[in-house]
Amino acid sequence: MILVTGGRASGKREYVMSLGYSETDMADAVIDARPVIFNVQDMAMRDPEGSAALLERLCEKEVVITCEVGSGVIPLERRERDGREAAGRLAVRLAQRADRVVRLVSGIPTVIKENNGR
Amino acid sequence: MGRMILLTGGSACGKSTYAEKLAVEAAAGGPLFYVAAMQPFGEESLKRIERHREMRCEKGFETVERYTDTAGLELPVHGGTALLECLCNLTANEMFSGENMDENSGDGSVGEADAERAVAAVVAGVKNLAAQTSTLVVVTNDVGSDGGGYDELTMRYVDALGRINSEMAALADEVYELVCGIPLPIKR
Repeated sequence: MILVTGGRASGKREYVMSLGYSETDMADAVIDARPVIFNVQDMAMRDPEGSAALLERLCEKEVVITCEVGSGVIPLERRERDGREAAGRLAVRLAQRADRVVRLVSGIPTVIKENNGR
Repeated sequence: MGRMILLTGGSACGKSTYAEKLAVEAAAGGPLFYVAAMQPFGEESLKRIERHREMRCEKGFETVERYTDTAGLELPVHGGTALLECLCNLTANEMFSGENMDENSGDGSVGEADAERAVAAVVAGVKNLAAQTSTLVVVTNDVGSDGGGYDELTMRYVDALGRINSEMAALADEVYELVCGIPLPIKR
């Protein structure tokens, strides 16, 4: 599984399309038969308590795209805080399991983890 | 002053886990202190503090709780390793705790003088800890990365912590940004 992360509109999906996937391969925050899923942070923020249970099914995907949402001022609303933290923790676990982690900054991909020869 | 490592990144990006790993490795069985700046307010932060405490359990950390005035903190042993978590709490405590309200404004609000004092207090506090340790790991948060748009008071805090982060990074031997639990070297 390849994990692709970065801020909102940082070029994550465009990068994944450069790997040979098309828009029809990409599911928006829903786990179905498509090989790529994006907006995983929304799934975690919608249901912080249930987000950890998504891990195994997400690891079956070829590509998982999640937005970095933990930067900036910590929100006053508890629900928002919990959502950000759940999204962050899920991303950490996905990165641990991923064969490759790519981070996008201004459309520029940087491989920040690569499992070689495994 | 010993070696200083600064870790930054957003919420739940794996900073605490990595900070503990670095500190435990640096301590190599020697004195290891955890300087906790988070004041417990209500159930949520008690839970968070408990979670962090559990994570540190059996790793050999001696916890020192210190919410303000780290410049006046004397660690029980010098020359060991310390982990300070985190500058965002420490800065908020220095800025918003009652006794530090702006004397100049005179209305009990948090003014620019409080922000200046908070910056000076946090910077002096980190320097004080660095002087007492062979390795100091400092955790902060990148609170300025969401474009702002907050009220004046919050922006004052964001600005203060941004200044502190820059000063600390200049002072640090190594700086890492944590992304999904992966440390990205910014300075080393």
